[in-house]
Order: sequence, then structure tokens, then C-alpha cells
Amino acid sequence: MKRPAEVAETAGDLAKPLTVCLVGMPNSGKTTLMNALTDGNFQTANYPGVTVSLLRGTTRSEFGLPITLVDLPGVHSPVDPSPEEELSCQVIESRHSSVKADAFALVVDATQLERHLKFAGYVARQGKPLVLVVTMMDLLPRVGATLDIEKLSRALGLPVIAVDARTGAGISGLVSAMRAGTGSESNALENMGVDPVAAYSRVRDLLDNSGAVVRSTDSVEGDSLTARIDRIALHRILGFPMFFAVLIGIFASIFWMAQPFMDAIDSLFAAAGDVFVALFPASVLTRFVAEGLIGGVGAVAVFFPQIVILFFLMTLLEDSGYLARGATLVDRPLSYLGLHGRSFVPMLSGFACAIPAVFASRSIPTLRERLLTIWILPLMSCSARLPVYALLLAALLPGVAWTAGLSLAAIYLASLLIGSAIAGIVGRLVYRDRALSILAMELPVYRVPRWKIILKITWSRSSTYLRKAGGPIVVIAMVLWLLSNFGLGSQQPSLVAAVDQPLIVQAEMDFSLAAQLGQRMEPVLEPMGVDWRVGVGLISAFAAREVFVSAMAIVFHVEGGEDTQAAGLLEAMRTATFRDSDQLVFTPSSMIGLIVFFFFSLQCVATVAVVRKETNSWRFALLQLAFYTVLGYVSAVAVVQALRWVGVA
Amino acid sequence: MIKVANEELSLSEVSQSEWHEISRLDGPQKECRRLLDLGFTPGERVAVARSTPLGDPLVVVVRGAQLALRKREASWIRVQ
Repeated sequence: MKRPAEVAETAGDLAKPLTVCLVGMPNSGKTTLMNALTDGNFQTANYPGVTVSLLRGTTRSEFGLPITLVDLPGVHSPVDPSPEEELSCQVIESRHSSVKADAFALVVDATQLERHLKFAGYVARQGKPLVLVVTMMDLLPRVGATLDIEKLSRALGLPVIAVDARTGAGISGLVSAMRAGTGSESNALENMGVDPVAAYSRVRDLLDNSGAVVRSTDSVEGDSLTARIDRIALHRILGFPMFFAVLIGIFASIFWMAQPFMDAIDSLFAAAGDVFVALFPASVLTRFVAEGLIGGVGAVAVFFPQIVILFFLMTLLEDSGYLARGATLVDRPLSYLGLHGRSFVPMLSGFACAIPAVFASRSIPTLRERLLTIWILPLMSCSARLPVYALLLAALLPGVAWTAGLSLAAIYLASLLIGSAIAGIVGRLVYRDRALSILAMELPVYRVPRWKIILKITWSRSSTYLRKAGGPIVVIAMVLWLLSNFGLGSQQPSLVAAVDQPLIVQAEMDFSLAAQLGQRMEPVLEPMGVDWRVGVGLISAFAAREVFVSAMAIVFHVEGGEDTQAAGLLEAMRTATFRDSDQLVFTPSSMIGLIVFFFFSLQCVATVAVVRKETNSWRFALLQLAFYTVLGYVSAVAVVQALRWVGVA
Repeated sequence: MIKVANEELSLSEVSQSEWHEISRLDGPQKECRRLLDLGFTPGERVAVARSTPLGDPLVVVVRGAQLALRKREASWIRVQ
């Protein structure tokens, strides 16, 4: 067998650093190892084709010439793979177009040797240089076993390195082993065969003959700490209360912990806009930068604290081992709806923002359940809807804070129930064959959270949000600014008499392109019981739903700072009437209709863009947009007309 | 009740915290292949470590790993 350095040379480029891919089964500790090898110096990298994120980095400088490391998604089995597993299999079998491995570092969990070595056989068959890395050695005493690395290495005919990513023990030895490549000409794993029964019995024989593993216990429970925690976490009576307590804790953190940061960011961007206007000459360009660009970036940044907290808590739950238990608890109802136990994570994230939720659905191993989960995410009541609901509820139920609060709680609960119903219905319509894919989800042992890695992954995921959602939101915010600040020359009252009307001209809101669009929409808006001004608000809300509030303030000519603006807007809404009539626009029925519309409709271009990227399908993303827009509109019209029919104004 | 030796049961029916030997897998082919890959091979011993509040999935132990298996999946695993 060739040494990896020779392989790199024959690849043609001497200067090209060695590329070593970390492969292994899920929960084998690859990411922890990646962190230790690179000292946290790794990035999420996306490759064309399926959107699966890989971690890519280089070894720490103290280990000599840099080695490029790629952390491949964990693989349960190369048979019937998920999109993530498929990508790993492509790289392992040298079928991938851009990720080429010179050697593999095969990461195996010391407490799961048999299953992980059987997987190792699949990698060894490919004939690439191989180093076996044993992790979780510190857990062996907890499961009552010992492992002799020397004996294992002799039996397998492979370099075997035990590492402890926390203390750094074994890391430098691993780097040397990666450079040196496989020690002997052939190893015991490569002829293991494809048939799982034969492969498992071969692994069992190898381990038994080597005498490397000694077990001192025969209990079913395994690790006693994990058994003790699971006795409560999966308890018949205590299990669900504990799960709900965790969910409520996450909810509370997302909303209350994030609030001061969100307020600070909001005022920061408002101040930045004011400073910009003060510094530069008053012109349309200055206003565009201050309101369109800075405002657009602010719209992205304001949700960032929530997203960071959300990702942090999710990663914490994942790392400690509780996430898999939560997924186990709720698998039964969710699988009845055609979803997966793990769907609860994206659904929960959806209450903060649909975009991180779409990312989180990657953890669902099967494509079908992943797509169905993404399909219902827009229904989860995201935090951008809160300012809209707050405005409409304040107008609908003036002066009674607790009824508004209660209505809000009802809206949240309804979004969960209706989301479930839609999953059930759509799942049954689209997937005729009711055979569900299998769960067979590993429950890892509970561990003390590894803070450094959790923070690193939190940052990596949060910055993905900024990169992927940031662009679309900023662009849409700028486009909408242009639409509401420019109008057709022929439509401007100041220019009616002019001989030479310019085609497009700077315009007041009432005569802008957005207003024109709103007025064109009036026949559609009329059954909802609202006028063109609300139409402008609805169009603007496509940038981000909360923009509805500020757009309404502009279109109803409400001036002043944030606090007086809210009061002014409520006052303006109370007295607003339809054109050439004294009929009120904001009646109880029309406001309830608007709430219903916001409840259903997918008013967020960034979500559409992210869904497109994640599913790699325009059809899916546009179908989803059309489905929820039509559903929202039809439901709103039905509610308004029904309320009027029973006598509600 | 007299227990007959070598009586075949499915893993979804056995009592908790007892080792059983897998006799065969009896279910859809693709799914059973996945179970084999996970380590549920004939001759291997398995146990149900615990149930969950809703009675489904079950927590199953095989080859030192704890896995959550839906009852339907567990019913494909025949044990002695």
C-alpha cells in the first residue's frame, strides 16, 4: 500500500497539502477530534450538489507541515443512505468530484468497537491509507470494559491511536501517523466482505482472538450514569414534564434573554442611520444608504441574538445527549404525522425563525421526513410575526393586556396544532405508501458538555445564518425601499401639467410604485376588508414580517420616534377610512382577517431562498410559497366574510 | 404459564432487562438490511433496556449500543 505522501505526489501537485478525511459512524467524536487537531481553526464548507455542510480545516502549526482535514458526516450504513451519508460515501469511494482524500482517519468509539469496526471494514475495502483513531477511552470504565490499544493494532495490522480530545493526549501521535500512512502491507479489515452477518462475525473473531477488550459486566443497562438519568428522562410519568420544562426553558431564553440585545442592536442601527444622514448632504442616495441599506442590515442583525441563543442551546442539548431522548419521547406522535422524532428540533427553532429551523432539519436522517418538516416550518409562529400580532391585537383589544396575551398564546398553540394537521394531511396525500422509514436512533451516553466545542459550533452555525439569510433580506429591503420612494412620473400630482414627464421619479409614499401596486391589488384586498395601504404593508412584509409595522407607519403618515409612533399608528388605524367613504378600514373582522393571513402566509423571501438552497429545488420552494399564500388569503377572506355574515363589523 | 424452550417471540413482546438471542429478522428487506448493519444479526444477543412514556419507541441494547427502535421495527426482530 502507498504512503499518503506518495499518493499526494502522484496526484501531481507537490505543494498541495495532504488531505485527510475524518470518517466514522455518528457520535464517534469526529468533530471533537477536528477541534483538537485544528485548535478550533475550521470552517463550515459547502460543496455543490446536496447542501450538506462539511467542516474543513488545517492541522495546528506546531505539528509541522499543514495537513488539510475534512470532517465528513457520520455514516450508519452505506445502504440506503441519507443525503449526508451519501456525500460521505462518495468521498470514501473516491466518487466525489471535489473532495479527494489522500488518507482516512477512521474514528471509532472505544465503547462501540464492534459496530464501528464493522463500518471500518467498508472504508478499509477502498484501499486508501488508513489510521484508526480510538475516542471515548475515558468512558470505558463507565461501561465496565478495558481496551488494549497495542493488541488491537497488532490484530488489525493498522496504526491505532487512542486520543483524548479534551486533554490533547495522542493528538501529535495521530498527526505523525497520518503522515506516515498505514504501517503494514495489508490489514485485517479490508477483506471483511460486504455481508453484514459475515462482517460482524469476522470482527467478533478478531477482537476475541486479540484479547484487546476485557469486559467485567454483563448488565443490560450499560453505563450506570446514563441509566440513572434515563430512568428519569424517559420515565413513564416524569419524562414528559421534564421535556416540556426543557422546551419552556429554551422558549424563555429565546425571547427574554435575547430581548435586551435585540433592543440594543435596534437602537444601534437606528443611531447609525441618523449619524449617516447627519454626516452626508441630504440627497436621495444618502436616504437610500441610511434607510434602505443600513435599515436592511439592521433587519438581519436584530434577529441575530435570538439565533445565537437558539443554536447554543440546541448544540448544548445535542452534546449532552438529551436531544436524542427528546426525539425518542415525541417520536410516536410525530411519526403518526409522517414526521420524525428529530423533527421537534426544527419545529421548536421555527418559533424563533424559520431560517435556522430549515438548517436544523438537516439532523433528520431521512429525506422524506426532512422535506415534510421543512414544508410545515413556515406555520410555526416565528418571532418576526410578534410585532405584527402585537400591533393588530393592540388595535383589536385596546387596553386589556391580558386578553391580548391570551390571544397570543392561542395563536402559538394553534400554529403548532395546524402545522401538525397540515403535516398529517400533506404527508398522506404526497406519500401514498404509508411505510415509514425506520427510526433506529442511537442514544449516546450522557456527557458533561464540552463548552469550547459547543461555542465553536454555535458560532459556525450562526455565521451560516448571516451568510445565507443576510443577503436576501438586505437585497429585498433595498428593493422595497426603492419601490416605496420612487414612482411613475405620469402619476405624480406635481408633474401632471409638465410637458416632459420623466418615466421614474422620486415620489412620496402615496404616489410611489408600492402604492400603485397596492392600488392594483385592491380588488383582491377588498374581500379581506382592507384597502390599498394595507396592501403596501403586506408587500413590504415580504422583506421580513415585522417590516409591516414600519411600512404601515409610513403609509399612514405617522411621524415621530418609536414610542410615539406606535401610539400614533394605533390612532391613525382607529380613524382610517376607505377612499371616498366613511367606512372604517380596521374593523374587528378585517383585523382578525389580517391576523389569520399572517398566521398562514409565507411572507419572507429569505425563507424561500434558504428552502430553495436546502432542498436544491425551486419547485419545492415556490410551491411552498404559493401554497401558504393561497391558504392564508383564502382563510382570511373566509374568516372576514363569515364574521360579517354573523354580524361582526 | 409454562415457557416452552426455543419459543420464538418478537423483540417488541419480550420483557425488559433480559437478554435474548436473535433467531432471524422478519420484515421488509431494505429495513432489515439496515437493522443488520446496525448489529442486529442472528445469533447476537439483544435486550429491551426500557420503554418510553408512550410505550413506543423502545430502548434496545445491542453490541453495547442503546438504540431507540419503534415497536414496528422491534417486531421484525425475532428472538428466542
